Amino acid sequence: MENIIKKPSNFKIVMNKVKTFFMQPYNIILVVLGIVCTFTTLAPFITLVEDTFSIHPGSIDQYLTGKAEGYTFVNWTDLFTSNLAKKNLWTPLLNTLILSLCSCIAAILFGGTFAFLITRTNMKFKKYLSAIFIFPYIMPQWTLALVWKNLFNSNAVTGGADGLLAYLFNIKMPLWWCKGMFPSIIVLGLHYSAFAYILIGGIFRNMDANLEEAATILDTPKYRIMGRITIPMVKPAILSTVLLVFGSSMGSYPVPHYLTLTTLSTRYLEMGDKYKGEASILAVIMMLLGVAILILNQASLKSRKNYTTVSGKSGQISKINLGKVGKYLIAVIFLISTFFTSIFPIISFGFETFLPNPGDYSFFKTWDFNNLTTKWWVYNDPTGEAGLYGQLGMLRNTMIWKAYGGTMLVALACALISGTLGLLIGYAVSKKRRSKFANYVNNMAFIPYLLPSIAVGIAFFILGKQLGLYNSYWLLIFAGTVKYIPFASRSSLSSMMQISGEIEESAIIQDIPWYKRMFKIIIPIQKSSILSGYLLPFITCVRELSLFMLLCSQGLILSTLIDYFDEMGLYAFSNGINLILIVTVLVCNAVINKVTGASLDKGIGG
Amino acid sequence: MKKLTALLLACILVFATFALVGCKENQQLSPTEEIIAQAQTMSLEELARKAIEESNGKTFNGVGNSSRGKTALPYFIDYLKTIDPDYTLEFTWNQPKNNTIFEMLEADASTTAGTYSMTLIQDGNQIESKMVQTGILDRFIPKGWAEANNTTAEEYDGYLALQTLNKVFMYNCVNAEKTYTNIWDFVREGEHGLFMDIDSEIVGKNFLYMLTKPQYAAELKKSYDLLEGAQKTYVDNVVNEVAATADELGLDANGKYALAWIKLWVGSYSAQTDDGPICNSLVKSSAVDQFGLIVYSKLRSVEESADVSKNNIKIAAYQDNYQGLAGYGYCHYLFVTDNSPLPWTACAFIAYMTETQKGFDAWGKDIGGYSSNPVVAEENEKVHQHKTGGMAEDGSVLFDCLNDRGFEFWEPRLVIEDPEYCASVAFTVGNWIEGLEKYKG
Repeated sequence: MENIIKKPSNFKIVMNKVKTFFMQPYNIILVVLGIVCTFTTLAPFITLVEDTFSIHPGSIDQYLTGKAEGYTFVNWTDLFTSNLAKKNLWTPLLNTLILSLCSCIAAILFGGTFAFLITRTNMKFKKYLSAIFIFPYIMPQWTLALVWKNLFNSNAVTGGADGLLAYLFNIKMPLWWCKGMFPSIIVLGLHYSAFAYILIGGIFRNMDANLEEAATILDTPKYRIMGRITIPMVKPAILSTVLLVFGSSMGSYPVPHYLTLTTLSTRYLEMGDKYKGEASILAVIMMLLGVAILILNQASLKSRKNYTTVSGKSGQISKINLGKVGKYLIAVIFLISTFFTSIFPIISFGFETFLPNPGDYSFFKTWDFNNLTTKWWVYNDPTGEAGLYGQLGMLRNTMIWKAYGGTMLVALACALISGTLGLLIGYAVSKKRRSKFANYVNNMAFIPYLLPSIAVGIAFFILGKQLGLYNSYWLLIFAGTVKYIPFASRSSLSSMMQISGEIEESAIIQDIPWYKRMFKIIIPIQKSSILSGYLLPFITCVRELSLFMLLCSQGLILSTLIDYFDEMGLYAFSNGINLILIVTVLVCNAVINKVTGASLDKGIGG
Repeated sequence: MKKLTALLLACILVFATFALVGCKENQQLSPTEEIIAQAQTMSLEELARKAIEESNGKTFNGVGNSSRGKTALPYFIDYLKTIDPDYTLEFTWNQPKNNTIFEMLEADASTTAGTYSMTLIQDGNQIESKMVQTGILDRFIPKGWAEANNTTAEEYDGYLALQTLNKVFMYNCVNAEKTYTNIWDFVREGEHGLFMDIDSEIVGKNFLYMLTKPQYAAELKKSYDLLEGAQKTYVDNVVNEVAATADELGLDANGKYALAWIKLWVGSYSAQTDDGPICNSLVKSSAVDQFGLIVYSKLRSVEESADVSKNNIKIAAYQDNYQGLAGYGYCHYLFVTDNSPLPWTACAFIAYMTETQKGFDAWGKDIGGYSSNPVVAEENEKVHQHKTGGMAEDGSVLFDCLNDRGFEFWEPRLVIEDPEYCASVAFTVGNWIEGLEKYKG
């Protein structure tokens, strides 16, 4: 008997299991992307940690150790124990936490309320308001900070020349209003309120309204329905959004920089010349805060299991009636507020490009058109000066258009690669939703999203230097792709979860190959959500600064070039480029919306 | 035991041999340094011929703190074409922001074949510790430049400076009653000068380091002696407060005056992102009673309008009753990268910029930048006439601030950067400065 039935060797059994495992496309995807995501997420982090122990020539570590190379703990001990610890660590850390928390609250309150009104009430002018509300998210975040400065600064309070309000109406705002924590919170809050709207709006849109309707039938007062049903149902999802906005605010560099607030990210850059290793510790701290957010996020997602009513499948959304006056009154309030957050900055950008000198509002006092100019657009004498610090007008400035091309290249590449990888991750994870490995891959892909942009930028900066990729498009695309995969993977995962397995199974029975199943069945069904996973990385990438600012010189892409012009005080250039960017994003959004139905303001996976 | 001892000795011998070979290698010149050694004995024309041989039809990449390398390169190519009309050269010029030029050069140095052939860089302190001591940048002294300065490449031990730039105290003069006569006036109680933050522009920090150098501390003391009344009492309190620190930091007898000025300055200046916005602010009629310490040449870009005028500001040093230090000077240095892909071309370009007026013209066309080559400086003044740049055609003064008095006027009135001194106090005086409370307004 023993001769007839031969027991296969263990090796053969394992090989067969491996073969069977890899016969499923989603297993191949999980293994390959698991390795890729582990490397791309961990490698920058490891190089960053290594940098905190390295000795840097010309830095404090060299001075304290007396060595020009090697490893040391001195960066850690000096940062935490020296007489500069308060200045270099504790104050920036405290400011970062306060800024992140408060701007997060502001964003959630403003964006969340707006999302609720748009999706769940009969407020008027929804289409216009929904489109206009996301403008601050399309614009680079520090442009609002500059608008703030140009509006409220005054000779009497902040020094220098008068801003617009002081110049025209003699209105002088107090110092706390003009600089520091308060304006930083407001500006970041406004910027991320659009983000909060996109995220929370998506949740409200997909929420099942059966319970609310049942309560309405039972004549429950509206405030009670809101307090007892609506908010508890979306609470875990809102908490998740809070954490995402918190993480994003924490990694913001330009807003605190322009409004003179010291945070971990601004301090990182200031310490770069003499305290390189210690600055890297600040980046590690930011990363650890990001990981803490991930843990909290996971906890919030677990608790969401208790609310199975958030199915994302209901088509019955009951609209709350705001009343005859209310629906107009609330709309008007938002029309006014969005005018200041979305329309006024654009008018201001446009106007600044016709001023003879930056911030020179002579025209308003004289109404003399000689106090306006078109030089910022058309000046064409490379040997002349004309107040442009040696630059040519925007329409003739090759540096600007080269940077525009660079931005498009990076944004398109990041969107395509991260969108595709995210789609595959979402697909594979949804197929193996109970597998621990799938969960691991999903988390690995998601971690970069929760890490502050500046910290990810720092990590890629150090890695890029080691790989010889510094100041190349390759490095920007690499960093951008890793950072934006979560946009696509989350969007893809939520949409894939909604597709019944039977649909694909029936295709498998008919022996239809995997790529055909994807292109002919899966993708067409969820094309709108999937395209959101491409669109959001594209738009975010177009105006991203914190992530890219350390990875290249200013002429490579537009956001770094805008920042350069802003620092130089050439606001006409930065404002003009901003206009070009906004128009580009709006055109892209409109085209995609027209062709596919996907749109930024309809949210991720919306 | 004998075998073991023999083995041990053999190992020691092998290690010692490797160590000696290593030492010998360290003393050897890199290929670029060998080329530089030859280039330093050549005239500009000889270098130009070498450059043509090396780079015809290729791409030359430069990196600098100033964007004008991009303007100078086409002139250089035109010059090479006068020798070989068929010569062609593509080029790129990168201008990284703030301090990132050091990261860029460091990253480029980590690759065997470098991208950048040369650099134009500022901040002597970091150049010394991060670039020169690490062997990333190599010093090249052109023969013609050395001769113009009555020296030789062997004798001269500094870096090659393209130019000295000055940052000068200037103030809004719409309120004619308010004047500044002394460097201590800029730290009077209630004054808040507009200045680029010392943490974002390191040459600003170098200025503060330099104030503690005995020669400049003595200047501060001289100006201090002119103070009277309440202002003197106000300063005295701070001088007494920092006297012990000056001793601890090993400064000379006048060091406490330097520390006092630094403390008052750091505690009062209003930090700005760049000199451009400061200049834009100061020239407005609404910037009453404001002053700044900014790059002089920024005034070139101010356009006259109803609210803005170059006559709204005055240069402190140009006022009759002003005494003593009135700004600071720092250099743009030129270096060849040690892994330069086109070292001969880099040397020729550097020689062209430092030995000819046309080569310097990209910078020389503006006020506030002075060629380190006295012959070029003189020729440049003849071409651009900066000393009368603010005069109308009829000889009347149109904009006094644009009449650049020249380097001979400025040199005794500027605190001029000394890389070696800056590097020596960066972690002593530097750490003390970093611990000072900054003005938050």
